[in-house]
Amino acid sequence: MANALVAAFEILSFGAIIVLVVLGLGIIASMMGIFNFAQGEFVLLGAYITYLAYSHGLPVWTGMVAAPFLVGALGFVLEALIIRRFYAAPIVAMLGTYALGLIIRESVRGLIGGLYLSVPEPVGGSIDFGSVHVSAWRFVIIVITLLVMVGCYLLLSRTNFGLRIRATLENPALARASGISTASMYGTTFAFGAALAGLAGALLVPVFSLFADLGIRFLIQGFVAVMVGGVGSFIGPVAGAAVIGTLSAALPWVMAPVAADILVFVLAIVFIKFRPQGLMSGKGV
Amino acid sequence: MRNDQGNLNRRRFLGGFAFASGAIATGAGSWVLRPEWANAAAGPIKVGIATDLTGPIAYAGNADANVAKMVIKEINDSGGLLGRPLELFIEDTASNESVAVGNVRKLIQRDKVDMVLGGITSSMRNAIKDPIVARGKTLYIYPQLYEGKECTPYLFCTGPTPAQQCDEFIPWLIKNGGKKFALPSANYVWPHTLNVYARKVIEASGGEVVFEEYYPLDQVDFSSTVSRIISNKVDVVFNTVIPPGVGPFFKQLYEAGFLKGGGRLACVYYDENTLNINQANEIEGLASCLDYFKTLTKDDPVSAKIQAAYDKDYPGNFLFAAGSAATGTYRGLKLWASAVKEAGSVEREAVAAALDHAKIAEGPGGPAEMVPGKRHCKMKMYTAVAKGGNYEIVGRSEGLVDPKEC
Amino acid sequence: MAESGLAGLAPAGQKTVRRKLLPIVEILTLAVTVILPFVLQDYLTVFATRVAILALFALSFDLVWGYAGIMSFGQALFFGSAGYGVALLGRDLNITSILVVLPAGMLIGLVFSLLLGGFLLLGRHPASVIFVSLGTLTGSYAADRLARGWYYLGGQNGIPSIPSMTLGSYEITEGPVYYYLALGILVVVYLLCRFLVRSQFGLALAGLRENEQRIAFFGYKVEHLKAIVFTVGGTIAGLAGSLYAFHEGFVWPNMLGVVFSTQVVLYVLFGGSGTLIGAVIGAIIIEGVSFWLSDNYRDIWPIILGVLLLLVIMFRPLGLISFVLGERERVGSFGRAPKESRHAAP
Repeated sequence: MANALVAAFEILSFGAIIVLVVLGLGIIASMMGIFNFAQGEFVLLGAYITYLAYSHGLPVWTGMVAAPFLVGALGFVLEALIIRRFYAAPIVAMLGTYALGLIIRESVRGLIGGLYLSVPEPVGGSIDFGSVHVSAWRFVIIVITLLVMVGCYLLLSRTNFGLRIRATLENPALARASGISTASMYGTTFAFGAALAGLAGALLVPVFSLFADLGIRFLIQGFVAVMVGGVGSFIGPVAGAAVIGTLSAALPWVMAPVAADILVFVLAIVFIKFRPQGLMSGKGV
Repeated sequence: MRNDQGNLNRRRFLGGFAFASGAIATGAGSWVLRPEWANAAAGPIKVGIATDLTGPIAYAGNADANVAKMVIKEINDSGGLLGRPLELFIEDTASNESVAVGNVRKLIQRDKVDMVLGGITSSMRNAIKDPIVARGKTLYIYPQLYEGKECTPYLFCTGPTPAQQCDEFIPWLIKNGGKKFALPSANYVWPHTLNVYARKVIEASGGEVVFEEYYPLDQVDFSSTVSRIISNKVDVVFNTVIPPGVGPFFKQLYEAGFLKGGGRLACVYYDENTLNINQANEIEGLASCLDYFKTLTKDDPVSAKIQAAYDKDYPGNFLFAAGSAATGTYRGLKLWASAVKEAGSVEREAVAAALDHAKIAEGPGGPAEMVPGKRHCKMKMYTAVAKGGNYEIVGRSEGLVDPKEC
Repeated sequence: MAESGLAGLAPAGQKTVRRKLLPIVEILTLAVTVILPFVLQDYLTVFATRVAILALFALSFDLVWGYAGIMSFGQALFFGSAGYGVALLGRDLNITSILVVLPAGMLIGLVFSLLLGGFLLLGRHPASVIFVSLGTLTGSYAADRLARGWYYLGGQNGIPSIPSMTLGSYEITEGPVYYYLALGILVVVYLLCRFLVRSQFGLALAGLRENEQRIAFFGYKVEHLKAIVFTVGGTIAGLAGSLYAFHEGFVWPNMLGVVFSTQVVLYVLFGGSGTLIGAVIGAIIIEGVSFWLSDNYRDIWPIILGVLLLLVIMFRPLGLISFVLGERERVGSFGRAPKESRHAAP
């Protein structure tokens, strides 16, 4: 029984991590129709900023709070300068963002000297439920992910700003005709997606340590999750991330990790083949 | 007009292309340490180093490059070898086998070095040994601890072998940890082969292997493994997971209460460089068995001298440590130098014959001797335990330990 | 050949007859590559051989993307599988004869691309571009993980020390011999591809590229056309993979993986898709520039490469070849122009 609880917790926490990473990717894909190959590198930047704060003597959580804002700001700038040229051609967007990701990744590699650096978690130790020990920090990650998701949902469904975003999502031409500046919506969305990735990186770095290839790890899983969940809505990518994350974390408990790794992707592709619109089709929230 | 603009761009483009191709044809040099004096008679002796200056193993590769620079400078300052200065060529293998082969080819075919020393992971060694030894017909010295069974002619190994790392270490682990072992491993040749040997020693010493598993190198989530370790009440985790997975793995083990429950971590490549990957409390009590630890400088003057020279010239993050092949590099270069002196030339046959039985009296951790006919090296071994972020020696070998290879 | 065929579509104010530059570029490239070993030092010839093989690999991708509009992020799957296949032949069965391994590589590439292409492209609903690109990406990634995890294939290490390719008792080693072998194969395949895209089949492909729906309405089985091109591309990639394995002397999981797949996409993007020669030039330039950069700017060369790529993607998405060739030459011209070309234009 205790084993099952630990397993459930681990699966949940890994799923939460994937959701955080994919959320930004999904929002960008739904809104602008482009797959951002640099999303993993935004995660890396969030992790790097957290490490920077820590290595300069500041408490870790200051880095974690700063990371989403800084990465979001960078996302906003990049969108204005580079990304917006790609909206017309999604394939070129993938390659352009790949090149961007390459630049960011190699810059960080140069800055950290190609090493593996560890960052302690702000809330350390473990929480004990009877004989079950769970990592306190991973628990915090689950909580924060839930809060972020709820916050996003409320933002999108209850606020004026969210209304405008949803309008642009469902029908950009009509939105523009109604006076909503789609350009600034796209900019804000990209910045938001980047900020989410930055937050994910900041929360992840105590768990996974900082290294230059941190971002690539999540990229493919992220894309598959978005495709499985369905592009075009907010809840779709989240559902996809939950499914992929849970499968990726659960399968190694019952089979060899290598087979589990591959099986997740094979299942995902087969699923998408027979249900191209993903789990949740349709636009909007 | 659009046409004119096209012509202008084309001209510029073709001009740029011509320049680039010219630059490529002449070939600019990589990192080269040229001696200040060059004996015009025979020219310098060329030493090639191929190591990971970038990538996940860069923490070790940079240390090795530094050691090579230090040793070559020392040899040059005392008159060189055979009256000729040594010229050092360093290439980056980038923890990427494909890049490595390309760069090693530069050493062999463009720089025409007389000897190559390098490679850290076994996969790197396997990738570059062919271009060096078979196609390149050059001597190759491999400085890192590894899984053994490398018996290629003209390939000399100066790092510890499984026999040196396990024969005394595992009984110590059983006495100071427990009988139940787990073997979590990275999925490549070193862990596979090392585990075969380790399992033999574990079972011969009265221990039991509870499970043996292999993970992809970039796996960072080990929850199922950790859970299995805890639920099976494993006493000793004989770990062969390497960066990037090892940091998260040890952290997750710690969080699950493995150390609190009295478990012991064991990792035969863990040295001063890798101590920084985790927080000190996460690896408290971790045991390692290597040919050198920095704490030896307290009672071994030779080690102290070498360590001090390195620290003076190369202060910073790349530490002189045995799990990072730095000691193997030092040993390999010194043994090679003595072989060249004995052979009186740098011809591969002559040097290989001399290197076959080469000895050095002064090395980090103690003297070292090549075992004739085996191309492996006897050295002193030490068992150490991590306490509060530093190592404490808890066991020393009786003398030079035989590598028992080939 | 028809210049006036598409002249009716030229925008007003532009000269309607332009010199055909594509053959000139092709011949120039051929001339340069043929005399290269006489100009370069030995080890640079080895490097050039590698570039020639990669150019062949890039050609396979250009065929698939530039001529059939399939963004395949998984070409390395076929390249790497063929490499592994012939490596296993060499290691386990000691078969190294060129007469066996090259066809074997092509066969492996063909089978895998037929399977993957069939699965992704055929079916009741036409597959979206994004699905195919992600499907191929996933295929490449999954193959990489499989090879990394399967110890028989060497796991993370791959298969090292592959013996040299042989022709009878003669060993084909790296150097000018292998260079001319690779170059010869590249030229032959190039000519075959050139023939293919200028045939009636190529005409259908051009139509497919311009307007897929319309071509479908004309009765062409669009998905079958795509699958055929995909398979041809996969076969060529397999051929390149077997050449690469024997030249480098080892295979490893990265040869199957996403980074390698994306690299070939970048070669073609850089050089210019849809011209065949663009792929070759792109491979030469990127590999050459990387090589030179890594020598001189050892620490920051990947960053410089990334910036260069980004600039090309942003400002010259048609690739560098567009500096030299016009849009019409990229699309290609077919057969003989009908007499009343201007009125025939749709």
